[in-house]
Amino acid sequence: MDLIFFKIAVVLYIVSSVNFLVFLLGSSAMNCPVGNWTARLGFACHTLSILHRSFFSGFFPLATPFDVLSVFAWLIIGIYLLAMLRDASPIFGAMVAPMAVVLMIVGATLSYQIKEPIVPILHSWWLPIHVSFALAGNSVFAIMAIVGLMYIFQERLIKKKKLGRTHKLLPSLEILDLVNRRGLPIGFFLMTVGIVSGALWAGSAWGFYWSWDPKETWSLITWFAYAAMVHQRMVLGWRGKKAAIMAIIGFGLVLFTFIGVSVLFSGHHSFRNPVLGTTAS
Amino acid sequence: MSSGLAVIGLNHKTAPVEVREKVTFPSNSEGTLTRHILSTPGVVEAVILSTCNRSEVIVQCSPIEEVSRRVIEAIAAINGVDPVTLRKYSYIKMGSDAVRHVFRVASSLDSMVLGEPQILGQVKDSFKRDSSAGTIGPYLSRLMHRAFFTAKRVRNETGIGLAAVSVAYAAVELAKKILGDLEDKSVLLIGAGEMAELTAKHLIGQVMRPICVTNRTFENACKLADDFSGEALRMEQLSMALAQADIVVSSTGACEPVIKAVDIKNVMKTRKYRPMFLIDIAVPRDIEPEANDIDGVYLYNIDDLQTVVSENLGERMNEALKAEDIVSDEVKKFMDWTKTLDLAPTIVALREKLEKIRCGEISRMNGKLSKLDDNQREILEIITKSIINKIAHDPISFLKKTKSANRKEVNSDIVQKVFNLHGFSTSMDNLEDTFEDEADNRN
Repeated sequence: MDLIFFKIAVVLYIVSSVNFLVFLLGSSAMNCPVGNWTARLGFACHTLSILHRSFFSGFFPLATPFDVLSVFAWLIIGIYLLAMLRDASPIFGAMVAPMAVVLMIVGATLSYQIKEPIVPILHSWWLPIHVSFALAGNSVFAIMAIVGLMYIFQERLIKKKKLGRTHKLLPSLEILDLVNRRGLPIGFFLMTVGIVSGALWAGSAWGFYWSWDPKETWSLITWFAYAAMVHQRMVLGWRGKKAAIMAIIGFGLVLFTFIGVSVLFSGHHSFRNPVLGTTAS
Repeated sequence: MSSGLAVIGLNHKTAPVEVREKVTFPSNSEGTLTRHILSTPGVVEAVILSTCNRSEVIVQCSPIEEVSRRVIEAIAAINGVDPVTLRKYSYIKMGSDAVRHVFRVASSLDSMVLGEPQILGQVKDSFKRDSSAGTIGPYLSRLMHRAFFTAKRVRNETGIGLAAVSVAYAAVELAKKILGDLEDKSVLLIGAGEMAELTAKHLIGQVMRPICVTNRTFENACKLADDFSGEALRMEQLSMALAQADIVVSSTGACEPVIKAVDIKNVMKTRKYRPMFLIDIAVPRDIEPEANDIDGVYLYNIDDLQTVVSENLGERMNEALKAEDIVSDEVKKFMDWTKTLDLAPTIVALREKLEKIRCGEISRMNGKLSKLDDNQREILEIITKSIINKIAHDPISFLKKTKSANRKEVNSDIVQKVFNLHGFSTSMDNLEDTFEDEADNRN
C-alpha cells in the first residue's frame, strides 16, 4: 500500500514538475494552478505513504536510505507548499518539484527493503530525533540554496538590464535575501540539534560520543561552514550575492556529507555494513 | 431578424480630442441620460460608457439600423453637437461585432494604452449606475457579466497587464524588484526636471518616508520639497543623503557626473551594503556608469528605462494576440446563448397566427352573429380565446421543454413548419408582450 502511495506521489510530482517547466517556457500568466494542485495532491499521497510505512514497520520510517530520502523530499515539498501560502513563484515550484522527484527515485533505486528487519541499534527513540532534525536542517539548507540560485539569477538579470519574463517571474531580490536571512538561523539550529542528538545517541549506544567516522567529520566541517556563514551575516553584514553564493556552497557540503560520504567511505553511519552495532560496542 | 445589439460610439482611434471632449455625457451620474436614450423608440435596453478616451452607447434595440440612426441623433442632442459631425467620427457596430467590441473594451484590448487596468472598473461603474437607473434588462445584464468574465480571463490567462509601459512606472516596478516593499524605503531627488518629478510622483504613492530633495540652488530644492512634503538638502550634504536613500533619482543639468563610482563605493560601506537603486534621468549623465558594477548597486539611465518600456510594449502586443483568441471564444459562447432566445419569436408568431384566424373567423360570421347582444358577444370572445390558448399550449410547452440549443433550433423550425408560421415577422414590442403573457399565465 505504502508503495502504491509512494508511486502515485512520484508520478504526481513528475506531472507537477512538467507542468511548472512547460509553464515557465510558454504561458504568460503569473501563477500555475495545475502545477500547484498536483504538487498538493502528491504531497497528500506522500504523507499517506510515510504514515503507512511508520505503522507497518512500527517505527518512524527513517531506517533505510529509501525512507530518509523520501522524508527529505517530503520536507522540501512541505516547505514549498508552506511558502506558497504566502506567495511563491512558479520558478520555485519548477526547482523544488524535480528535486523531490530525483531524491525519491534515487532513494527507491538504492533500497526498498521493507521486509528486512531493522538493525537493532536503530530501534531507539534517538533515531527519529537525530534523523528528523538533521533532515529538517538539510531541507532548510536545500531551500536556501535554491533561493540563493534564484537570487544570483535575478541579480544578474537586473545588472545586465534584461528585464524579460524570467525577471518578472522571479521574486524581488529583497524577498530572496530575506528567505536566506530567516532560513540560516533556523537551519543552523536544526543541524546543531541533529549533530548533538547524534552524539548523545552514540554515547548511550556505544559509550563514546564522537568517533571521527567520515560522516561525523564531514558534518562537523559542514557545521563550521554554516557557523561561519552565520557569523558573516550577523557580524559583518554580508548579504545579497555573497550570502547567496555561500548558501549554495554550504548546500554542496551538505549533499556531500549526506550522500557522497555514504557512497565513498564506510563507517558506522553506513548501515549496509552487516557488522554494524558490533564493531563499536 | 433585425433586432439585436448595437454599439454606437467614438474613441481615440476614430475621433480627435476636439470631438471627444464634446461628447462626454455630462451629468449622467444617476443614469438620467441613459433613461433618455432608452426613451428613443425601438430601444429596449441601454447603457452608456464614458471615459476620457471613449464615449459609447450600448443598446439592445429593434430594428437595429433605423434605431441606431435615431440613437446617434439622441447622442448629438444630449451633448449639443452636430449629428452629421458625430456620425462622421463615430462607429456603429451590430450583432456579434458589437458583442466582440464590448468584450474587447472591457478586456482593455481597445484602450489607448493596451492592457491598462482602469477600463474594467469604469465599465463596471457604468453597469452599476445604469442598473439602478433601470435601463438594463436581461440581455444587457448578461452581456455585461460575460464582458467582466472575459476581462477576468484575459487578465488571468495572458500577461497583458504585467509589463510597465511608461518610464516612471517601469522605474517603480524595477525598484520593487530590487528593494521589495517600498513602504519603508527612502527616496532622494537630485536636481529638478519634469521627468524626475514624474518619477517621484509615482514613487510617492509607494513610499511612506519623506522624500529628500537636493539641488544646486537651495531655493529650488525647497520649492520642490514643499511640493512633495519632503525635506530639502544642500549639495554639500549629498554623501550623507546617499548613505540613507534607497532610491536615488538624479536629473541635474550638470556637464560632469555629479556622483562618481568611488563615492558610491564609499557610501556602500556606511550603508552596511544595503542595496541601492540609482535612476539617472539626466543627459549628459549624472552618475558614472561604473557605479553599476558595485555589488548591491543597480544603476539605470534614461535609455535603459526606455528600452525596458519598448520591450514591454512589444510583450503586451504579443499577449494581446492571445487575448483576442479568448475574446473570440467568449463571443461565440454569447452568440450561442442569444440563439436560444430565438424561441420567443416563434411563440409570438404562433400566437399571432392563431389570433388572426380567430379574428378572421369571427368577422367572417359577423352577419350571422349580429343578433347577439353585448353579453353574448363577450362570452363568444372568451370561448374562442380560450380555444386558441389551449391549442397553443402544447406546442409552446414542447418548445420550452427542450434544453439544448441545437434541439431548440430544430424544434422551433418544426413548429414553424407545422403551423406554417413563415412570414409572421415579429417586432420587439410583441416579444415583450409574450413575456408578459407568460407571466400572466403563470399567475
